[in-house]
Amino acid sequence: MNAEVVPLPVDRGSTNAATDMLAGATSVGVRRSLDGASSLGRTVNRTGRAVNGTVESIASSAGNGVRAATRRLTEETTGATDDWGRDPLLVRNMMWLAQLRWDVATGGDQHLPKRNGALLVVNSPFLAFSTIFTAFAVSEAIDRPVRFLVPPGRDRRGLFNRRIGGLLDHPDELAGALRAGEVVVMSAATATGSRSVGEIDHTLIGAALATGSKVFPVAASSSPFGRRARVEIGTAIKPPRRRKGPLSELELADRLRTDIGDLLSAMGDISTGTPLDWLPLSGIGAH
Amino acid sequence: MRVFVSGVGGELGTQVASLLEDEPWVGSLSGIDADPPRSRFERTTFERIQPDEHDRIVSTVLDFDPHMLVHVGVWEPDARASPALAATLTDRAATSILGAAAECASLEHVIVRSGIEIYGRGSGSLTRPDEFAPIRPTSEWGRTVADIERTAASVAERVGVQVGAVRLGPIIGPHVPSPLGRFLRLPSVPFDVWADPSFAVIRQDDAARAIVAAARERLSEPVNVVASESVTVLQAARRGNRLPAPTLRPQWPIARRLCHMAGAPVPDHVFETITRGRLADNGRMRELLGVVPEQTTPDVIDSLYSWPSVVRRPARKQVA
Repeated sequence: MNAEVVPLPVDRGSTNAATDMLAGATSVGVRRSLDGASSLGRTVNRTGRAVNGTVESIASSAGNGVRAATRRLTEETTGATDDWGRDPLLVRNMMWLAQLRWDVATGGDQHLPKRNGALLVVNSPFLAFSTIFTAFAVSEAIDRPVRFLVPPGRDRRGLFNRRIGGLLDHPDELAGALRAGEVVVMSAATATGSRSVGEIDHTLIGAALATGSKVFPVAASSSPFGRRARVEIGTAIKPPRRRKGPLSELELADRLRTDIGDLLSAMGDISTGTPLDWLPLSGIGAH
Repeated sequence: MRVFVSGVGGELGTQVASLLEDEPWVGSLSGIDADPPRSRFERTTFERIQPDEHDRIVSTVLDFDPHMLVHVGVWEPDARASPALAATLTDRAATSILGAAAECASLEHVIVRSGIEIYGRGSGSLTRPDEFAPIRPTSEWGRTVADIERTAASVAERVGVQVGAVRLGPIIGPHVPSPLGRFLRLPSVPFDVWADPSFAVIRQDDAARAIVAAARERLSEPVNVVASESVTVLQAARRGNRLPAPTLRPQWPIARRLCHMAGAPVPDHVFETITRGRLADNGRMRELLGVVPEQTTPDVIDSLYSWPSVVRRPARKQVA
């Protein structure tokens, strides 16, 4: 018996129409149930209405997020994990939780490749968790699983991170993911201030260059006191000069820092309109 | 071409020999094992030899004078032998067979069966190691397969032949003695409540096809052979309608003992798989072997639970 070559899975694009129809039907069902909830809310007293209104607002925005997540990620089967150990069901639940915390507007996702691997480098303000919300937001925007690099961490935390799409921040791991056509988000070193960008690990940039993947600067901005957040993806960056040695990755890392800083300046700041904006630790007013 | 298969009595070895019989490039085929083969061969000659009978092994291999050696004679811990015995038998078989093959004048190529346990799951190890990842085994079985590869490489270097290593994921298939398969088929399956990491497996048929493809393509480097996608223990238990038993780290020694008492011992490499995960990059399979697994990991797990415990076959000729 000759061994057969099994054809690779068909392009995901062919099933998009059916998925959209299914997702549309799901979202209508969810919307009806939410409408039902708002009609119940009218019967309570004024104080109750105010409280109920707030709860409804949170539930509605989280529900919208869930619908979006369901609509775009329904192709992923549950009950199994993918080649990298990412659990779609757990990711969906984590995205739902993340949407309670962040309401992310994503821009520039049209720059990203439809199928090939890409490395996204994002700024990392202090305690902003920008890598995670950027990965979730970009995943929603481009309808593809997006991984993110995390330090090895302790046993259990590292394994949990892998279940939600985390990869080890090691050049070999990144190179493997990019070769497999994955979109990966990595963060610059943590920096204080909304427009400052920390150091970028050039060895990881070198892994992207070695695999011939595109590298994109990404600016992420969020408020510690509000839900609004923004992710802006710039155009792909190439090394400024053709080099034979590792200098190209260093130069590319420097250029990425500059470009992310420019994107942050262009985005402006997210402000709450309250005196909280003046606090230096908020990362909003401190430039 | 003369092909010699060691470990031809096991499920995998029998299937490999059967597939090799259909290969047009294979001339004569011979095999040895401590156990008789699991099915009838058409043109493979079989000799039953214990792993410690060095002289008989050497004379059998030398008499056959193979062009290619396919070494699948390995014992996975707690599959058919206890971990200590499995390590001893595997080491003896590898040393005798590879050593004897090195004496053969016609030998051109060696294919060895290895495992993805060779990469280990230590702190900071890659999530999905490819063939270039460092070899840092952290289990007894991982060290055993690393030793086999090392022995084969040293033989190859000494006599100037090429060696290919097929690094298989945990093999699951009907009638394959697999400690992971037994563990997952328990009525209640313990899973790590905090981590529950993912692992990938390979079905026995796909593993056999990969080994035959490695022989056909004259593989001269290692290749990972695992099914695509992965599952966690909890997901596998749910797929099989088993009762998942959430287990914390301090409770694992008791859970392992209970599993052993229930007939499913959990050797260290399986424990590592269910508590730290086990994935591997199979991206080079198509390039190096020309084949890819037909079944995904969830498919293999589903079929694991659909196998009947007892297969009843009617008699060919009713006599009463």
